[in-house]
Amino acid sequence: MTDEPPLIELESTSADGSAPTIPGVQGDRRDIHDDPNAPVLEVRDLSVEFKTDDGMVKAVQNVSYTLQEGETLGIVGESGSGKTVTSLAILGLLPKKAQITGQVLFRGRDLLQMNERDMQTIRGRRIAMVFQDALASLNPVFKVGDQIAEAIAVHADTKVATDDDRVVDLLDLVGIPNPKERATQYPHEYSGGMRQRAMIAMSIANDPDVIIADEPTTALDVTIQAQVLEVFERIQDRTRSAVLLITHDLGVVAGVTDRILVMYAGRQVETGTVDDVFYNPSHPYTQGLLASLPRLDQRRAGERLYRIKGQPPSLIFLPPGCAFNPRCPHAEPGLCDVTRPELVDVTPDHRSACHFAADLFAGKLETTA
Amino acid sequence: MASYLVRRLLYCVIVLLAVSFISFIGVRATFDPLAKFATNKDVEAKQREKVRLGLDKPVIEQYGRFLGNFAQGDWGVSESTHESVASMTQRAMSNTLQLIIPGVIISVVAAICLGVYSAVKQYSPGDYLFTTLAFIGIALPPFWFGLMAIEFLAVQSKTTFHLAQTPFYFVGLHTGDGSSINADYARHLVLPILTLTVQIIAGWSRFQRASMLDVLSADYVRTARAKGVPRRRVIFHHAFRNALIPMVTVMALDIGALFGGLIITEQIFSIPGMGRMFFAALNTGDAQVLTVWVVVTAAFVLLFNLIADVAYGFLDPRVRLT
Amino acid sequence: MSFDSDVSPSSVPTGSPRFDRERVGDFQPGDMATQMESGLGQENLPGGSLPDEGELQPGVEPVARSQWQLFRRRFLRHRMAVISLLVLIILCMMCFGASWIAPFPKNNQDLLAPVAGPSGTHWFGTDTIGRDEFTEVLYAGQISLKIGLSVALISTVVGVALGSLAGFFRGWTDQLVMRVTDLFLVIPQIVILSIAIKKFGQSDTMIALVLAALFWMYTARVVRGQVLSIREKEYVEAARAAGASSSRIIIRHILPNIIGPIMVNATLAVAAAIIAESTLSYLGFGVQPPSTSWGNMLSSAEGVIGTPRAYLLYFPGLMIFVTVLAVNFLGDGLRDAFDPQAHE
Repeated sequence: MTDEPPLIELESTSADGSAPTIPGVQGDRRDIHDDPNAPVLEVRDLSVEFKTDDGMVKAVQNVSYTLQEGETLGIVGESGSGKTVTSLAILGLLPKKAQITGQVLFRGRDLLQMNERDMQTIRGRRIAMVFQDALASLNPVFKVGDQIAEAIAVHADTKVATDDDRVVDLLDLVGIPNPKERATQYPHEYSGGMRQRAMIAMSIANDPDVIIADEPTTALDVTIQAQVLEVFERIQDRTRSAVLLITHDLGVVAGVTDRILVMYAGRQVETGTVDDVFYNPSHPYTQGLLASLPRLDQRRAGERLYRIKGQPPSLIFLPPGCAFNPRCPHAEPGLCDVTRPELVDVTPDHRSACHFAADLFAGKLETTA
Repeated sequence: MASYLVRRLLYCVIVLLAVSFISFIGVRATFDPLAKFATNKDVEAKQREKVRLGLDKPVIEQYGRFLGNFAQGDWGVSESTHESVASMTQRAMSNTLQLIIPGVIISVVAAICLGVYSAVKQYSPGDYLFTTLAFIGIALPPFWFGLMAIEFLAVQSKTTFHLAQTPFYFVGLHTGDGSSINADYARHLVLPILTLTVQIIAGWSRFQRASMLDVLSADYVRTARAKGVPRRRVIFHHAFRNALIPMVTVMALDIGALFGGLIITEQIFSIPGMGRMFFAALNTGDAQVLTVWVVVTAAFVLLFNLIADVAYGFLDPRVRLT
Repeated sequence: MSFDSDVSPSSVPTGSPRFDRERVGDFQPGDMATQMESGLGQENLPGGSLPDEGELQPGVEPVARSQWQLFRRRFLRHRMAVISLLVLIILCMMCFGASWIAPFPKNNQDLLAPVAGPSGTHWFGTDTIGRDEFTEVLYAGQISLKIGLSVALISTVVGVALGSLAGFFRGWTDQLVMRVTDLFLVIPQIVILSIAIKKFGQSDTMIALVLAALFWMYTARVVRGQVLSIREKEYVEAARAAGASSSRIIIRHILPNIIGPIMVNATLAVAAAIIAESTLSYLGFGVQPPSTSWGNMLSSAEGVIGTPRAYLLYFPGLMIFVTVLAVNFLGDGLRDAFDPQAHE
């Protein structure tokens, strides 16, 4: 295997001297500019706004979180909550007209301040992304092997053949049978689950530090979902990549993530470890989400499924105060519709943006259902 | 692929047969080959002519005879010039091709460049300029443009710049009996090709721009960027390749249509090509020439339709021609 | 899968209708109810799920807009389309009001009039037999515009009827329509038109009919394609399950959803018809004297190239050009107004 030095200088050995985990990728790829003391990814006060004919759409407001090495963070929210926009902002994939403020620190370097050339060395190599609809996200006129080879070649300054060993090994790693033959096929010749795996293979081609997975299982059948999630787990075991998993499916989150961040109307409303948030939800929205999960064990006959009243708000005309207050069973007029709640700690590692977070955490307020 | 081609060719033949039938009947119904006997009272002469032309037989039989001859290469003789239609066609076609070939090459290159540029630099001043020009080009009646081109670029510029001759010629392809490829020939070509290409480039560049814009906003382009692929490669390797697919189809179809569509240009610039041949025949009521002309032109259109389909199947792996 | 090419060839240099190819396939008519959209926020709350308690606070303003209003707003945003609409209205008023507006009577041959270009009395100059060019252009416009509009109207009606029947019922209706249009679209437009006109005569009405008889085919193919894609949608299935008859389904469910491409198509057909008519007239196969059209005027003006009267070339052609340009902009604006997702 050729090993041409990439455009960025490398340290010759990795910090912990570990062996490479992705076939063909030599050495632990760190750049000189990395700050070894910084977390892998730290998002500080990220806000994204779009100007539209109807007004300013505040897609994301003041989102902050940290992602540690090897950790899986789940970002949960419904459509329009801003979760996808957040992830696109990290990689600089938003349209030019998007107005972005805040900081996105990747190992200490602010990605939002980086020029395009440097960003191109980060994308696909240090931070990779897996998209939702694999059929639309893979180029229909090129072979799958070509596209994976490109992911490698673009960062290695060499040519990589369609059925190069590295490509075949990657396909094998994600569980695609007959990888050598499959590499020469086109995306439309794959099944839905296989396509998603191929996308995952493409994303790990360069052993990235962070994998952002935007609703990777949403378009798939439940059984295939499980398989794909299992692939993610396997990958993570091998590569120690941190994973940012974006989804609206609480079931997915429960099984795979370490920590979660719940978003509503562009803001984060609750963060914490999965166990903490699931067992002690401290925000009415989170409680509502959990309560609306149909459960076989806790329902009494004749009982209706719980749903959160109302609709998510327009991101242009947000309600004053707390964005959730029109739908909140605990909303207190004069407080919730006037002052927007800041994130408060209910435990050192569990935060919630609600005036009544502490009470909710302690179970003092009557929760729904 | 082979079976697909065979089936398509078969289909083309059938369509061509139908076209020949319609053409034959249509022309027969419109032009009376015995028109010149309208004022002639000689009934016997008329009858003899009728038999000679085979007009006493039923129409179907006449058609059959025409078809049989045509298939064997006997394309008949022009009623007005008494020249073999086959040689007329050959000559006319070669003249038309002298316009089509350079015209198409220029148009393809220009339209793709303009379209891609406009799409990549959307809303830039360049884009606005080209879009405006394209709209103008599409709206210009081609014959008017031709006339104005002659007036301004040839005649008036001669006066304005005090030249001995008009810088561009607008009658025929060569001065006098010349036939070589030289500056004189080039000066004859400029205006007709300009007239021809203006509309084509206008339409194609718009289409290319639209196709490119569609593709640039596609998910797989976003994936390529997310992989760290440099911008240039994203545009020319990922996007362009996909945008080309519908473009090629459109181009092939339009080129096919060109074979019968240069009528205006040839008329204005007095170029003895297929278009002029058609018109001369139309004005003299030359039925044989007309019928053959329609069949030949339709054949080219069908050929390029086929090329369009095959090219599409070739470029888009999702479409497998079976 | 066998590949069926539905795209019809267009004879480029004769200004034939390109509208059949103008990204028709991109138009995705949504169910009317789901077309209430704007931006990323929700401006329209579907009636059934208005919050019963915890009313929306002031400051949250969902503005319900009807589809017509949305359409109008999008259209008005297109400056060029709006300008074009105004230009066309003015043009039509001027031409059809020629009897009131024109400075001179029609066909006012005055051999003593000066041979001159545009001047104070004669805005467009005088022609070879002394008539005021401006007046003649206005009157000629009546014919050109009339033919253009009527061709578009007739061909659209026929094309929509046959196209929707073909697309909806498929089977041999579809085959028939497709094969017939296949046939005629393979032969160059000019050829069909000139032979037909030679056969059927050159009255204004006949020209319009012949043009319409050709143009409906483009419309029919477009409409057929649209109907084909709509008939698979769930709401059609639902209507059928509810017992709606075929005609009811077509008229009430399918057609309203494809009104967009139909309108755009019809608009562009006007432009194409005007160019076709003027081309034919220029070649001598169109409008005959004493009737005048813009194309007609250009044909008789051909001889003035290189002479001092060359200005006679400008104006009729300019009128055609401006009209077609305006119509094209209008069509573009309509297309964007019907479906803003078609372009960025």
